[in-house]
Amino acid sequence: MALVELRGVSKSFSKGDETITPLDNVDMDIESGEFVSLMGPSGTGKSTLLNLVSGIDRVDSGTITVAGTEVTKLSRSRLADWRAANLGYIFQTHNLIPVLTAYENVELPTLLLKLSSAQRRQRVELALEAVGLSDRADHYPRQLSGGQEQRVGIARAIVAHPKVVVADEPTGSLDTETSEQVQVLLQRLNKELDITMLIVTHDTDVAQIASRQLVLDRGKFLEKGDEGSMSSQPQPTPHLFQQ
Amino acid sequence: MIAYVLKTLWRHRTRTLLTVTGAAVAMFVFCFVGSVQEGLHRLTNGADADRSLIVFQENRFCPTSSRLPEDYSRKIKEVPGVRDVMPIQVWTNNCRASLDIVVFNGADPEQIQRSRPIKLTSGDWSQFKSQRDAAIVGRNVAQRRGLKTGDQFSIGEISVKVAGVFESTVPSEENLIYTSLAFLQYTRGLDAAGLVTQHEVMLTDDAEPDRVAAEIDEMLRSGSVATKTRRKGAFQASTLSDLVDLIGFAHWLGYACVGLVLSLVATTTVMSVQDRIKEYAVLQTIGVRPARAMRLVLAESTLLCLVGGVAGTMLALAALGIGGFAIGAEGATIAFRPSLGLAVSGTIVSLIVGVAAGLAPAIQAATVPIVNSLRQA
Repeated sequence: MALVELRGVSKSFSKGDETITPLDNVDMDIESGEFVSLMGPSGTGKSTLLNLVSGIDRVDSGTITVAGTEVTKLSRSRLADWRAANLGYIFQTHNLIPVLTAYENVELPTLLLKLSSAQRRQRVELALEAVGLSDRADHYPRQLSGGQEQRVGIARAIVAHPKVVVADEPTGSLDTETSEQVQVLLQRLNKELDITMLIVTHDTDVAQIASRQLVLDRGKFLEKGDEGSMSSQPQPTPHLFQQ
Repeated sequence: MIAYVLKTLWRHRTRTLLTVTGAAVAMFVFCFVGSVQEGLHRLTNGADADRSLIVFQENRFCPTSSRLPEDYSRKIKEVPGVRDVMPIQVWTNNCRASLDIVVFNGADPEQIQRSRPIKLTSGDWSQFKSQRDAAIVGRNVAQRRGLKTGDQFSIGEISVKVAGVFESTVPSEENLIYTSLAFLQYTRGLDAAGLVTQHEVMLTDDAEPDRVAAEIDEMLRSGSVATKTRRKGAFQASTLSDLVDLIGFAHWLGYACVGLVLSLVATTTVMSVQDRIKEYAVLQTIGVRPARAMRLVLAESTLLCLVGGVAGTMLALAALGIGGFAIGAEGATIAFRPSLGLAVSGTIVSLIVGVAAGLAPAIQAATVPIVNSLRQA
């Protein structure tokens, strides 16, 4: 059984008198450890699909099962619990909490799990180390560059050891050089931590780091890529990946 | 998560400070109004309010207009159920409602010491008993007027020497000045030799107050001056009737203060949540339950209200303790005293208002449409 299964998923929105159907009876499987990128023109339902998989949006019909849990059946509260334990979300605009330090931002998801303070501290330190920001732990988001903020966002997404990490245009607000660093980081997280990844992107370079590329148009998958070519080589392994 | 709440409040410290200050001022007024109501309640429902009677001249109100023969006390003592009678000459600087009323009670010093719940904090009884123009001064009056033992002070035609300062378990007593009966009777301008303003009647444990009061009035009907006898509590309530109405109205002011805190804290919390709708969407995306998001907002509003409310309550209690305020009319006074009850009610009201003020914004934060909110710039 695939880690992520979408069966007959449809989603429509009303816009004035018009009904838009970004997803129309979509099926999709993502295997454990896979790195899948999702591309397509604007407004074709890429982010909608990501949000449905994350359980922050609701399907009109169909089912979504992630790691054996049918998330489409869960209540809002149960979905929150499920996300805390199983899902990491990387936002395009980082969305760090401005009043919290990098350390505290990364610590947030661990506060929702049953962990001792020592376990929490260890996980946060390892996550920050993994994204190369141990020395910025006490910095507030306003004291970080865009790339550093995104790396803190990535650390926050992986700190709870989720089964799936989803990323919505993770490099969309970064310059080329920083974007490449983030791509390398995501690739390493997938390869070395075996985290299943689903990323939405407009950037073909970013899409190429995925092992499988999907293209979504008018509510359907148009094209399914095979094993994707890797655009970057993995970097030396930091502490987290040796665990 | 409490760090998140505290840091959020700190992030908008000007708004936080203004809200806390507003809540403090409103709760200050709430406690002040509460202390006036407590004072009135103590005065009209205190331990001696039902076990003492006041014999006053019929159809008279201001102490200066009630002139009863002093020897009525002898006749009153004969009524069954009467344990003791104390003739009192009352003099006040103002018959109308006033915040700085000075009330002299002239009575037998021995009887004062025996029957009044007062304790000298300075000075001594012997000087009060032996010196004709000696007076013992209630703590609140001494505080307001800056008097201490050994001082000489005058007010109107009366000039006395302070023989002591007393405190009392009955707060209104602390707004009185006691002199000897003879001193007040022979004060120039009073022309009250052989006359007193009222007789205070102490009852035996088994006496029925209204029956004794009726018997006293009936017995004195044949005397030179007709009387009206009432329970002390009822007498004081009647004496302060204008103020009672005013104080009854003032309790609406107390409610208004609570409403003010509610709207102030609710507005601040709503603004705070609306500013951070996206943040709550992010928190819920990370896995924060809606109920937890709700608790975060409630913690914020409750904290604002508690800090402001408790500060206002404490300031009010301090002001009441230091100021020794009282309001009086026609010789009766209502003391504004700090009390544990005020501290507890101020804190509980702050807590409840804090939770109530946070409810609407908390629901807003908990039910935030995650996807739409994440799209916000």
